[in-house]
Amino acid sequence: MSDYAKPLPIPSPESEPFWAGTKKHLLKIQKCNECGETWFPPATLCPNCGSRNHRWIDAAGKGIIHSFVTYHRLYHKGWEGELPYVVAIVELVEGARMLANIVDIEANDVACDMSVQVKFDDVTDEVTIPKFQPT
Amino acid sequence: MISPIVEPSINLRDRCALVGAGTSQLGKVPDVSAIGLLEEAITNALNDAGLTTSDVDGLLLRGPDEIYTFHQVVGERLGIDARFSTTLTNGGASQVMGVALAAMAISSGLASCIVVGYGRDNWSRVHANKENHLRSSGRPQQMYGVEFGPELGYFGAVAAHAFGATRHMHEYGTSRDQFGAIAVAFREHALRNPEAVMKKPLTLDDYRCGRMIVAPFGLFDCSLQTDAAGAVVVTSAERAKDLRQRPVLIKGFGTHNNLTGWYNKDNLTHTGAIEAGQAAYRMAGLGPEDIDFAQIYDCFTYMVLVQLEDYGFCKKGEGGEFVETGALRIDGSLPTNTSGGQLSEAHVEGMLQVVEGVRQLQGVYGPERQVEGAEIGLVSGHGGNTVCESTLILGTA
Repeated sequence: MSDYAKPLPIPSPESEPFWAGTKKHLLKIQKCNECGETWFPPATLCPNCGSRNHRWIDAAGKGIIHSFVTYHRLYHKGWEGELPYVVAIVELVEGARMLANIVDIEANDVACDMSVQVKFDDVTDEVTIPKFQPT
Repeated sequence: MISPIVEPSINLRDRCALVGAGTSQLGKVPDVSAIGLLEEAITNALNDAGLTTSDVDGLLLRGPDEIYTFHQVVGERLGIDARFSTTLTNGGASQVMGVALAAMAISSGLASCIVVGYGRDNWSRVHANKENHLRSSGRPQQMYGVEFGPELGYFGAVAAHAFGATRHMHEYGTSRDQFGAIAVAFREHALRNPEAVMKKPLTLDDYRCGRMIVAPFGLFDCSLQTDAAGAVVVTSAERAKDLRQRPVLIKGFGTHNNLTGWYNKDNLTHTGAIEAGQAAYRMAGLGPEDIDFAQIYDCFTYMVLVQLEDYGFCKKGEGGEFVETGALRIDGSLPTNTSGGQLSEAHVEGMLQVVEGVRQLQGVYGPERQVEGAEIGLVSGHGGNTVCESTLILGTA
């Protein structure tokens, strides 16, 4: 039994392939076969053209920080002793944006448009959460 | 690509009016439910108009979000059969949108006298148990999602809105002191409002010393947790002539929701206020230069700054300089949130901003609170984490 104290994601039918991917240290996002759009979080239709004709691709795991916030107040006991921590909107090179923690950097040094790359964190035997670190 | 707008078959400018406004007790009111608070506000709004519940044939309400068909619960308690009623769920844009829906319903002959109101027991909920207090929310986490958030430690409205502030600071050089100018101006207004929750003066230095919550937002960037309700009464402009108060005409309204997402496109720095404002100005036949005062949805300081830009009171990126000039003060070029707003009066997700807009145009205040010569006001509602926007333009004639 894990003593992991943070909430674990509860996948939806649409997002299961994403979480299966992170477990294998792959960052899977959806890409439209009609218009080329990529998006996140997972959905059944392309948000750009409405097509159902899309596929999962392995993202390169590289991107930039579009924006970020730094938690100085505790909202959940799982982060006790870990303040401050950073949550960012990461824009992947493929175009899709996703929320992620920024790690391996002082919170004060994080900046918009900074280049980052994915770092997989196997938080339990079952769940792997993608985080990002400066390149 | 969004479709071109269809030219309206009728112009709703000046067709309807707000004829009464009321509030409940504001602050920590643990012994009254959200419905009880709303009943108090509705009673006060009807009294203000010189009407009773028997005159009301429409309810556009909001209460605790988990109560199924909330308007039905309130209608039963008030003894009202409604020709037009529903519960609103558009976040902080709900209440302003409720007034717009009321004007549309009355203009299309579906109802004649509609109460728009919101009752909220947020202080009591946040303080009801440790888990709520820690999350600083009166709503269950499930309402906000169970993946792509909680596992990252991403909780709460502070962080969601702070993303916008970070990006704005990066792109336009906006500073925390400029956010502080907003908090200071609204606190000064609250000190003139005996109902306001916050009673202590706030200086820019106090603002700087406020503890960080989720950077770039500190304590004084964040709105209050309150138990409170507000309500307004909408009827036709014709009927309004015979009622107790000077009618407040609904000159224009607009709505826009960036449902593609807060994190997408340039939505962090360009809100739905751009399109909602254009629609409202178009209906009213007015522009930002005609607005005498504004009640801007102030869940967080930054949201005021960005909406001021998006409504055209200054250029994009210049909101920081604009607020630093003192423009928002009661004697400034655009008196804003003249009751103290959600940052310093009380937070009923925009409902009290509608009430304050009405009262300024009724001209009910003494010289310390009344915007001198106020004839046209703009009221905004913003929310839904954080992409929904509704706009009202109100006037005395």
